[in-house]
Amino acid sequence: MRIRILIIAALLNIVGAVAAQAHAFLEHANPLVGSTVASAPREVSLTFTQNLEASFSSVQVTDGNGARVDQGKPQVSGNTMRVGLKSLSAGTYRVRWQVLSVDTHKTEGSFAFTVGGR
Amino acid sequence: MFRSSSCVRAFTLALLLVALSVAEAFAHCFVGPRFLPATLATDDPCVADELSLPTVQWSKTGDQPPATEWDISAELSKRITEDLGISIGDTWSQIHQPGGFTAAGFGNFETTVQYQLLKDGPHELALLLGLVVEWGGTGAIHSGLAEPWSTLTPTFYFGKGFGDLPDSFGWLRAFAVTGQVGYSFPTRSFDVDAGVFIPQTLVYGGSIQYSMPYLKSEIRDYQLPDFINHLIPIVEAQFTTPVANNFGNSPITIGTINPGVIWVGTYFQVGAEAVIPVNRASGTGVGFLGQLHLYLDDMFPSTIGRPLLGGGSSAPPQQLKF
Repeated sequence: MRIRILIIAALLNIVGAVAAQAHAFLEHANPLVGSTVASAPREVSLTFTQNLEASFSSVQVTDGNGARVDQGKPQVSGNTMRVGLKSLSAGTYRVRWQVLSVDTHKTEGSFAFTVGGR
Repeated sequence: MFRSSSCVRAFTLALLLVALSVAEAFAHCFVGPRFLPATLATDDPCVADELSLPTVQWSKTGDQPPATEWDISAELSKRITEDLGISIGDTWSQIHQPGGFTAAGFGNFETTVQYQLLKDGPHELALLLGLVVEWGGTGAIHSGLAEPWSTLTPTFYFGKGFGDLPDSFGWLRAFAVTGQVGYSFPTRSFDVDAGVFIPQTLVYGGSIQYSMPYLKSEIRDYQLPDFINHLIPIVEAQFTTPVANNFGNSPITIGTINPGVIWVGTYFQVGAEAVIPVNRASGTGVGFLGQLHLYLDDMFPSTIGRPLLGGGSSAPPQQLKF
């Protein structure tokens, strides 16, 4: 019984002393995830729940044929990553991102948005 | 028996001390873009650094008349390497019989060794093998809450998200399923005190879950309230079926179906489920199951949230590539 109480106390001790970074989840995207926008955006902006390591975070945007339509290296500032876009015509585009939060947790994801009324 | 009990406890303490002192980093159950939460009644298909403290269950037994049972348990999971993990856990139970008799005490210590067979990100598929051991004689045998014999349960776990379906499936892509199948055999075949055979059993279960975080970040952001975007509605089910050495015992499958919801935060998750017995032998009426679950890898990314072996905190992170 005494050993078990010691173990539970040790576990509670773990809970008591928390650091402060974690996996970076996508909190907000512009254009919105799954949205249809009337006019072609000039950039994709992704905001995460944690600050990012710029050197190890990336995003690419492709058209329906899989061709890249982003302008290359993204800009990372704090918890936000932006990438400029080429001139987009009407159609559906896919954003694929992969980020490393400042405490070295990797996360990834992808979503689509549509330009025009298609 | 005393010697065995002491060894288990010494091992448990040593394990905990090592976990508290050492350091590599990564995730709880992420498979590509899919996050599979820790499930309450069954197990998720990943090795991880996690702490479930506490898990609380209230239910009424299938006895006639039914007794009221409280179970409070804790489980610590720790990765040894990126793919190999161990867990230790124990449960304190109190059973109150109508008429005033109450039994209370700890169940047997339980340890689990698990190996991550596969994590396929593009298909959101995770496979895991494990061996669950309930160490006989480490709990309150005389209260009838623990057995003097040990039980070994080799178990296969899986998890699959449906995000790899075509975009035309829309919101259905946020569904995921998990499951586990184990074969449980005791180290004794006959209980001399009770005069009954101790059956070997098939232990199986799973969950179907709908991820609102996945819906928001991968399919469509409906700009719902933040609280809603953290929810994963879930239905779990767990069953035990005697399959061998069951002479003279009931052949009935027992189990529960547990509808509920998990709220997923950055450092922890909170889950609550109703516990619905599938038949009279499984319980009486609807019970309750709740759990606070902590993500140690997020809380302590540079210390106990890393595997013990296979990389140090000074190792540079892997360069990401597309």
